[in-house]
Amino acid sequence: MTKIMAELPGIDRIRKRFVEMLADRQTQIASHGLAAWDGKTVDEINSNLAGAQAILHQIAGSAGSLGFEELGQAARDCEVRIVDHLAGPDADLAICPIELISALDSFVAACRTEIEAQA
Amino acid sequence: MRILAVDDDPIILELLGQFVEIIGTHELTTADSALDALEVLEDPDTGPIDCFMLDIQMPGMDGIDLAKRIRETARHSDTPILMLTAMSDKRYIDAAFAAGATDYVTKPFEIAELTSRIKMVEGLAHDRQLRTKKIFAAKTVADQSSHVELFEPISIYDVENVIEYTAMENYIAQLSRSALFGSTTFAFTIREISAFHTALSSFEFYSLISDVAEVLSDTLVGHQFLMSYAGNGTFVCITESGWRPDMSALMDAVNFELSQTELFDNHGERIHPRVSAGDAVRLIWKSGNSVMDAMAQAHSSAEAASLAHTRSLTDFWHIDQRA
Repeated sequence: MTKIMAELPGIDRIRKRFVEMLADRQTQIASHGLAAWDGKTVDEINSNLAGAQAILHQIAGSAGSLGFEELGQAARDCEVRIVDHLAGPDADLAICPIELISALDSFVAACRTEIEAQA
Repeated sequence: MRILAVDDDPIILELLGQFVEIIGTHELTTADSALDALEVLEDPDTGPIDCFMLDIQMPGMDGIDLAKRIRETARHSDTPILMLTAMSDKRYIDAAFAAGATDYVTKPFEIAELTSRIKMVEGLAHDRQLRTKKIFAAKTVADQSSHVELFEPISIYDVENVIEYTAMENYIAQLSRSALFGSTTFAFTIREISAFHTALSSFEFYSLISDVAEVLSDTLVGHQFLMSYAGNGTFVCITESGWRPDMSALMDAVNFELSQTELFDNHGERIHPRVSAGDAVRLIWKSGNSVMDAMAQAHSSAEAASLAHTRSLTDFWHIDQRA
């Protein structure tokens, strides 16, 4: 747990809001992942992967400050995978690697576990 | 101190709000996008902003473009800008510094890191107010007595890849936290800078430094680099691209460009600045203070080369007279 967690007043309220937002965010990530997997064109696949990456980036940026270090690191790992794919040699092909979808699936599952734990 | 924080994540803005509350006397204004931030800045009811905290990755206009837009306004040309970034955003950090960022804070936040950056910014805000007053005073009355010291690092605006010296120090500090393969530091010194400083007014001297910075930046174009004026006629540069500059060839190229550039003092007399180049010092295997030492080594080697050049001219005439 980072020092910011212990020292900031009002942190419980922010944590609560983070968890509430996490419920929406994990749904959005799952939707983007599915749409990327079902996508037929490069644009469909890459725009949905970029959409998932943007949400992962937000989670990675704040989760660690709120005591959700593992979730934050998992978000960062997924984000880096997507960024690497979108900057890699397959980015201009209509391919959505199964490894990416599997990583997103694991992350969404981790979100659900965290949400249930905080309920 | 009034801070404008810009981030598309409401959680980050809330965290910063709580943080500002516990560190005391600062006031936080927030914006959830770059466009929202620009609206805040255009609002005549918005008071002075002493510090910006900008998320790098935002949808639409990102924090780097926002930093550029902020720097384009005279009011905020030297207001400290802290970028908010994740560790994986290293690829964006160079662009952020080149766009005018003063330093950056990594997410997830640590109170100690945030506090130290805010303290640094407070000091900068105070120093820059004094320096800006001095430069602008010199601009309005070219030959008045307001004095820019020879050793003083001068902020240069609107020259590509030229950043303030404090930002360069912060950039070097972050470099020491990461891999340094491919990083090289080097420097140029304007020859006989002391004579220029004595002969020229503060504004003329400032203009000379800006003009030489522009020539250096134009000559280095095509390479990845950041450059800063460190005072005493010396520009320090750093590249991370793996480029190994040939300093002798670079010096010739810069001096050729300077010879083609018509520079005049306020009396219409043409001035002929030339530079000497120091050693290109590779940063590989260096860390912490030794990175700063490497920069100091590049810096001092350029000044030594400048002195050696001046001395060689004197020696030449001695030899000539004997002959």
